[in-house]
Amino acid sequence: MRVKTGIDIGSALDLVGGVLKWLAPAFLAPVVVAIGYGEPFWAFLVAGVITGLTGLALDQITGDKQGAAVTPRESFLVVALIWLFVPIFGALPYVLDGGPQLNRPIDAYFEAVSGFTATGATLVPHIEELARSMLFWRQLSHWLGGMGIIVLAVAILPRLRIGGRQLLQSELAGPTEIEQLGDTIRSTARRLWRLYVVLTLVAIGVLMFLSVTNIDDVMTPFDAVGQALSVVALGGFSTRTVSIAAFAPITQYAILVFMVIAGINFLRLYRFFVQRRVDVLLKDEELRLYLALILIGTTLIAIEVIGGGHAHGEAGVRHSLFQATAILTTTGFATADYALWGPLATVTLLLLMFSGASAGSTGGGIKIVRHLMLFRLVRRELEQTVHREAIVPVRVNRRVVDEKALRSAIVFVLLYLLTFAAGALLLIAAARRAGEALTAFDAFGAAAACLGNVGPAFGFAGPYGSFAPFSDLSTWICTVLMWLGRVEIIPVVVVLTRAYWRS
Amino acid sequence: MRIIVLGAGHVGRAIVEALYADHDITVIDTDPERLQALADRYDVRVVEGNGTTKRVIAEAGIMDCALFIASTSREEANLVSAMLVKKLSRAMVVVRTTSVEYLDAWREREIDVDFMVSSELETANAIGGLIGIPAARQTDVFADGQVQIVEFDVPANATVIGQPLSTASLPKDSKVVSIIRGEKMRHPSGQERIEANDRIVVIGSPSAARQWSRVISDEQERVDDIVIFGAGQMGTTIARVLMDRGIRVRFVEGRAERAREVAEELPNARVFHASAFDPEFFQRERIGKATAAVFALNDDPGNLFSAVLAKTHGVKLTIALAHDQSSIDVYEKGGVDVAINPRQVIAEELVRFGHDPRIRQIAMLDHDRFEILDLTVREESELAGTRYDDLPKTGSVIGAIIRDGTPIFPHGDDILKAGDRVIVFVESRRASLVERVL
Repeated sequence: MRVKTGIDIGSALDLVGGVLKWLAPAFLAPVVVAIGYGEPFWAFLVAGVITGLTGLALDQITGDKQGAAVTPRESFLVVALIWLFVPIFGALPYVLDGGPQLNRPIDAYFEAVSGFTATGATLVPHIEELARSMLFWRQLSHWLGGMGIIVLAVAILPRLRIGGRQLLQSELAGPTEIEQLGDTIRSTARRLWRLYVVLTLVAIGVLMFLSVTNIDDVMTPFDAVGQALSVVALGGFSTRTVSIAAFAPITQYAILVFMVIAGINFLRLYRFFVQRRVDVLLKDEELRLYLALILIGTTLIAIEVIGGGHAHGEAGVRHSLFQATAILTTTGFATADYALWGPLATVTLLLLMFSGASAGSTGGGIKIVRHLMLFRLVRRELEQTVHREAIVPVRVNRRVVDEKALRSAIVFVLLYLLTFAAGALLLIAAARRAGEALTAFDAFGAAAACLGNVGPAFGFAGPYGSFAPFSDLSTWICTVLMWLGRVEIIPVVVVLTRAYWRS
Repeated sequence: MRIIVLGAGHVGRAIVEALYADHDITVIDTDPERLQALADRYDVRVVEGNGTTKRVIAEAGIMDCALFIASTSREEANLVSAMLVKKLSRAMVVVRTTSVEYLDAWREREIDVDFMVSSELETANAIGGLIGIPAARQTDVFADGQVQIVEFDVPANATVIGQPLSTASLPKDSKVVSIIRGEKMRHPSGQERIEANDRIVVIGSPSAARQWSRVISDEQERVDDIVIFGAGQMGTTIARVLMDRGIRVRFVEGRAERAREVAEELPNARVFHASAFDPEFFQRERIGKATAAVFALNDDPGNLFSAVLAKTHGVKLTIALAHDQSSIDVYEKGGVDVAINPRQVIAEELVRFGHDPRIRQIAMLDHDRFEILDLTVREESELAGTRYDDLPKTGSVIGAIIRDGTPIFPHGDDILKAGDRVIVFVESRRASLVERVL
């Protein structure tokens, strides 16, 4: 007897299948790289075929769903499942290749989740020892996950003409109104991706220029492409163990600029770049707060970095600015081992992990606009204690934020903090069980960095280190945190409620 | 002139009252009782039916009518019938609206009617004018705001009392056009003196009007904090006008839903969801500290109660809207400083279309005993070329002349010319005489 539920699981799985089908061709890119560098490529080929076949199979099993709409209810399940399943297939090349650093399925899955969620936490202690094609796949997984495979799906899957809006809404990071850029939700998604692709090409162009003209004589063209794919996705994987510190200051500045841009709401970026609407950026309160937070973070860190003698003059300012931006935008690049800096810098960085980039950007974290909303809410509550009868609507960007949106911002931040607390506690407990030397601060750091999709944390998991010393249990905890952070917790929590499954 | 008025409500009634003596009026309405009441009182033809239909409009005689005034409280009905009339006949079409947005669309020529008037906006402007001149009983502006007319009650301690007008130090660019003492009205000459408890009418430039306010009462308070009770269409329109002048506005609204809407609509206004009759609320929010309060609630008793409450809490200037003409006297007895009837305001606006087509604007003072006309002197007028002092004294005074766009406040030797635009203060019963000779 079939169990009756209110959820059309078939429809949801069908959609997951559709996404997997479209993911399969992506495996051809590392194949090309492998051939180019004379490396074995069969791992990618097999992984691609498996992914494609699974997608087709899901399509077949669930039957003809062309007409079926994805309702808001299914879209929670779809979002949760896609971010769970896609990395499974993304992890296949690591396992199939059997290289010594990523051959265990759990490690491979961690690395793939970290890649697709654009986190950038790595289990690989010696990055340069990986094959070029494998490195490229890591960077590419960032790029695919950054703007979001789901946005891509809305852009290309014909059946998402219906229900695509809810899906895009639950996918785009943070509470952002999908101001339709096109006439249809599909063309909105397409424009977002087009902007993303153009931004990537510009980043590749700039870094490539620095590389081939030998302005930066360390960075190879391969590095240039790799960092570009990572930076526009605000990912954090690098082709170097010491991250961006390997490159010349001019390259670091270039990457800094791209991080700042990718941390802005893409809907606004589109209006700015394509529709030449300068006002959407100038008057954007979220953008102002975003830049202000970067500056405040930079100042606090600079006090420690320069005052503590870690770096001087231009280098001190550069490191502080770069690190504040890299952590706040949840990229996770590093130009220095900030884990060695003093407490004023490390505590500032830990707090910046909770800021996150703008809503509608490729970054993770709580998102600036939610902070803005909550800040305004606090101000209203204080005002209403003095003027009891006063009605004070909360406004962001001169537009009234409805009470429902405020409530969901509060709920999100609460869930976020709760998840963070649980994650930190579990990491500490797991460390005690395995006998690891994990300090309290490092546990907080690792939990915040994974949940916020930042990547590197502190201690051994710092920017030059890796998550390899963690026990398997801890690795699992981190993986789940990254997944929760990417889907912004709520879809998972909703799917776990009993009411969700009842009709 | 044949005039058709759509709507027999308060506004329609006020129009009929002002125009029926000189014109043939037909009134259309769906409510037979209201029509009956109107026909009993005035000599007008009534047509019962839906004025948005061609049949009813034709029955009312649209083909040979010169002026069509759509005055119902339903905007859409007014617009639909106006469109029909515009298509069917060559009558001038005037539409009453409550929406500032329709008004803007009309100004942009997107709505094809000859005139569109909004009682909300007219009333808001009137209140805006009053608030600038706290001592005024009533005020109105003419010629795009270059000329202001103000009615004052002179208190016993005013500095102007007792001196002949010619020697008293009075604000420049202004004229006292009338002194009303008891039931009698005088058109003052230089020797006339103002006495305590006189009611005077002054025409002058807006800055002169403000100076007059200081001459009449020495309270120099700058108006910067206004409380508006009732955040309906009227209240919000008033708020917009005041906020445009940089005045801080606070709202008190009893309906939660409406309070929220207004708070969202007007970010710069402070909105309270509270009762207009709650003394504790007045105390808590220091309502008494407000320089003026406007009462725009839906019912007149509520306005009166709230206004008296505000008065007792120390509000200096209370301005209450009256939905019923008869409330005005009650308001004044109750101590309300200024009473305004929005329907009267709009009726004034609409009535001018029934007058001489040269007339641009008309205002009524003191229960319609006086009118102020804004019209242009004809080429063939017998008075063109006359010295100001030699103009006939027929119960009317020219308060201002607008020549080449600049206002002149005329004295003895100024000469009236053809083509001058004049602002004339006149007793209502002599208005048609003035129209004839000028």
